[in-house]
Amino acid sequence: MGRFLKGLALVVIVICCLLPFWWLFVVSLRHRVDIFAGPAAWPTNPTTENYQALFGQYHMGSFLINSLVVVSVSVIISLLIGTPAAYALARFDLPGRLGSVGLMSALFVRMVPAILLVVPFYIALGRFGLLNNRLGLIIIYTGINTSFVIWMMQSFLAEIPKEIEEAALVDGDSRWSAMWRIILPLAGPGLAATAIFAVIATYNDFLIALTMTSTPKSQTVPVGISTLIGKIQVEWGPMAAAGVIGAVPIIIFATIVQRHFVRGMTMGAVK
Amino acid sequence: MTTELASTPAPDMSASPPRRPWDFDRLLPYLLVIPAALALALVSIYPIYEAIKASFTKYLYGRPVGSAGFSNYIDVAHDPVFWQSMGTTVEFVLLAVTAETVLGLALALLVINEFKGVKFVRLSILLPMTIAPVVVGVIWRLIYSSETGFVDPLFVALGLGAPRVLSHETSAFVGLVVVDIWEWTPLLFLIALAGLQSIPQEPLEAAAVDGAGPVRIFFQHTLPLLIPILAVGVILRLIDAIGTFDQIYVLTRGGPGTATQLISIYAYNTAFNFTDYGHGTAMLIALLVFVSLLILVAVALMRRAAARTS
Amino acid sequence: MNEIPEDPKTVSRRNVLRGVGYGAAFAATAPILAACSSGTSGGTTSTSPSPGDTANSPSGKITIGSFQDPAMKPFREVYVKKFTEQTGIQVDYQETAYDTWYQNSKSDGLQKTGAYDIYVMDDNWVPEYAAGGIIQSLDKLGLKVNPNILPKGLDQGYWPPRSGPKLAAFKDTPPELFALVIIDDVNMLYYNKNHFSTPPKTWDDIYTAMKSKATPPNLYGWAARGVKGNPSVMTYLPLLNSYGGNFANDDWTPGFAGPEGVGALERLLSFLPYMSPSTPEMDTDQETGLLLQGKAMALTEYTGTAVSAVDNPDSSKVVGMIDFATTPSQVKAGPAIGTFICGIASAAPNVPAAKAFLEWFTSDEIQTDFARNGGSAAVTSTALSDSEAVSKYRWLPAIAESVNNAVPKPRTPDEPKFEDILGTQINLAVVEALAQGGNYTQIATAHLKTAAEQMQAMLDQNKSVYFG
Repeated sequence: MGRFLKGLALVVIVICCLLPFWWLFVVSLRHRVDIFAGPAAWPTNPTTENYQALFGQYHMGSFLINSLVVVSVSVIISLLIGTPAAYALARFDLPGRLGSVGLMSALFVRMVPAILLVVPFYIALGRFGLLNNRLGLIIIYTGINTSFVIWMMQSFLAEIPKEIEEAALVDGDSRWSAMWRIILPLAGPGLAATAIFAVIATYNDFLIALTMTSTPKSQTVPVGISTLIGKIQVEWGPMAAAGVIGAVPIIIFATIVQRHFVRGMTMGAVK
Repeated sequence: MTTELASTPAPDMSASPPRRPWDFDRLLPYLLVIPAALALALVSIYPIYEAIKASFTKYLYGRPVGSAGFSNYIDVAHDPVFWQSMGTTVEFVLLAVTAETVLGLALALLVINEFKGVKFVRLSILLPMTIAPVVVGVIWRLIYSSETGFVDPLFVALGLGAPRVLSHETSAFVGLVVVDIWEWTPLLFLIALAGLQSIPQEPLEAAAVDGAGPVRIFFQHTLPLLIPILAVGVILRLIDAIGTFDQIYVLTRGGPGTATQLISIYAYNTAFNFTDYGHGTAMLIALLVFVSLLILVAVALMRRAAARTS
Repeated sequence: MNEIPEDPKTVSRRNVLRGVGYGAAFAATAPILAACSSGTSGGTTSTSPSPGDTANSPSGKITIGSFQDPAMKPFREVYVKKFTEQTGIQVDYQETAYDTWYQNSKSDGLQKTGAYDIYVMDDNWVPEYAAGGIIQSLDKLGLKVNPNILPKGLDQGYWPPRSGPKLAAFKDTPPELFALVIIDDVNMLYYNKNHFSTPPKTWDDIYTAMKSKATPPNLYGWAARGVKGNPSVMTYLPLLNSYGGNFANDDWTPGFAGPEGVGALERLLSFLPYMSPSTPEMDTDQETGLLLQGKAMALTEYTGTAVSAVDNPDSSKVVGMIDFATTPSQVKAGPAIGTFICGIASAAPNVPAAKAFLEWFTSDEIQTDFARNGGSAAVTSTALSDSEAVSKYRWLPAIAESVNNAVPKPRTPDEPKFEDILGTQINLAVVEALAQGGNYTQIATAHLKTAAEQMQAMLDQNKSVYFG
């Protein structure tokens, strides 16, 4: 009986978690008239017209390209500048509590909700003529991702035993080369997980991109999705199709880094 | 350069030969930190400086027209809609995070033991929090809508009246809380699961041998050990929930009336819909002070939890 | 309270000197008061083009941004292309949701991003966009105005307004044309002839008819946009105007919380038992959907639906059954005007081509064509009375009549904010009235009072602008 109830509970839970995704998928494959005709558990009479409209009429192609550019450039740069900093924070005792101040400010940038910073970001980008410009988005995302990279990588690097490096130093390596030759390869898996988390967070961001961009020239996927929700007219089918496009890459990525999810979401506090 | 002997300010790294001036390795830590520090300053110190400046500026129709002194802050303090939005935010955050904590813990207890298909169940639970909040909003708009959703037909089929979730104040607010629970219970679930897995089993087994029931074991032994880790999740979620924006933007834009107008929506509208950057930033600075305090609490809790799990 | 500085020129100059990176933006720094410093008189119709402009004919590309609306369909699908064919100027037309576009366009103009050349606006945005330096003075750019444009429509583009109350801060500023009307949209009554043998004249007539004929949920007596903000206001204004209330009185105080406004809202609330229970989440799409499915007896709506859907068998089950009239009267007639109006962005990259587009689109030839092919709400008297157009599209005379009777919204830069305040309270009143199924007087009184208080608080914050 207990086993049966537990099984039932698990089935209900899985349905609750997955049904909304299924619903999104079903609506994205239905004709407009069918969508209004009532709910369906299965895409009867499926069509790809919503996806065609999405890429033809609604600029999804350029949203995807913008997302790709903005996400990849900002994540790469933030890995390049965040990882060395994380290494320094994990391995050196910086004078004057500089280390903990650095970690704290990184954490602050990461945790503060975007809404609190979006107005000043907007004012600042406006000042430098970087609104509606991918470069503007890249700068902001790089800064935010750097804070995340510092925390995650610091937590991964701290797990690598110091003895390994010390051995290298005794063998005559410099700090610099020990870092490149010994530590980086060991930190590889952590680096990959960090990168994927940064990609997910950046790809999913809506508020910053919404505020800083205004045309498909620089709008990213989430902003593109929101433009389909006109107040006058809601394009249900294309909107659902856009939701699918927005979700699929992330679901794939998330499945890859499943194991590290807790660490990613708690900035290394829980492993 | 690579052949030079190591010398570092780190005291625990012994084997340092006498220091030389301008030693590359001595400067290395700073060189490593500076680019990141600049990047962080660019997205924290600079915008906060801009925000403080804007909050003391009077804006008229989107243009700065002079100093406002403290008047933006005073106006905000006297603005009933601001306080109403703060009230709604507090209500939303408390309801959602409480439910997420309880549910997340319950789910974790349900799947803590291995069984066939446990990986699939865990992955299913994880998925809602991975996708963009905007997509979450889209999904639930498709579910709630009276035109295209399945909630109304479902209730009718069950012999109940159609709830028309987004047409009533209470139901829209509850509907939003449900969305947040769907999206973020996974986070607390994962943290609770990690916490449960890190708890040593021996004391629990000893208690069981002494004849304690599972409920008593949970409350007397498991929960106290779990709380420090769970607290990290709760506080992270609290901070994040205060800034909830995307889902509301897609679902209700704060309506009907002001039922789902959280402070994020109100501040956003003040700043961008009405280009009143002065009042908008004043609200946000006030909120930032409050959130910063929460972040301090979060840091303390995270340090404790990190010490415990590592 | 902070005041706007006495001398507007100091303001603009200070902004320039601040140098905050607006560098090249001298022309547009005159935020509030571009018009104040202007020496040109606000001519009523045309100004001669400045000599430099005619030297080389405009070319290149322009970007036009707009909100989504059914009325924009012919513009988007036919005329943008036609313009390119005739002039060689490429047009990039971008459309997005109303609220989003309001923010995007404002941001683009305020920050001089230069992503757009032309903004398609709602007429109530004009004061804010002109006063904030978001759009440029068309008079200063030397735009030639077609003298056949209906004056009521053209008036919407002036800042400060040519008639009616003026803000104290702008009372000595000569009016200039900042935006040019492209679609003379007004609220009309759409009614299904199956349920009304003659066009209903008053709101009471409509109520009587729905009481005897409506059978919800199969046939609703009325349909309306109930979403908060602009849609709710657009539902309420025709009632408010015809009951003798005002959105804002001549002294800018709210004019809807008195017995007229309450009566008007009570009338709307009394329709609710015969309306869809989803009304608070309905916008144009859903509301007109009911009418076109034959499930609603009547509604008030802009002309775009007529143009795009009423007689289109793909979308309408009531082809030929819908007729049009000016919105019902009570103590007077009072359709709300809601023109589509174009401004040239403060940092428009291609001003000559943008100007050429506006002149081209409002020319007699194109406007007549616009009315003849699809029955759009053209802006010229010649087009609306064109016999060929009228014979094809039965609503055109109703448009012309409605435009002439139309009551403009308050001409102040704060109007969108007022509209948000009022529209939130209307939406709430509808939600509450649906829940309670009665008690309309109290509900209407309470919510209009709240809206009036909030609007008054805004006036008090900007006292000097309003009252000097």
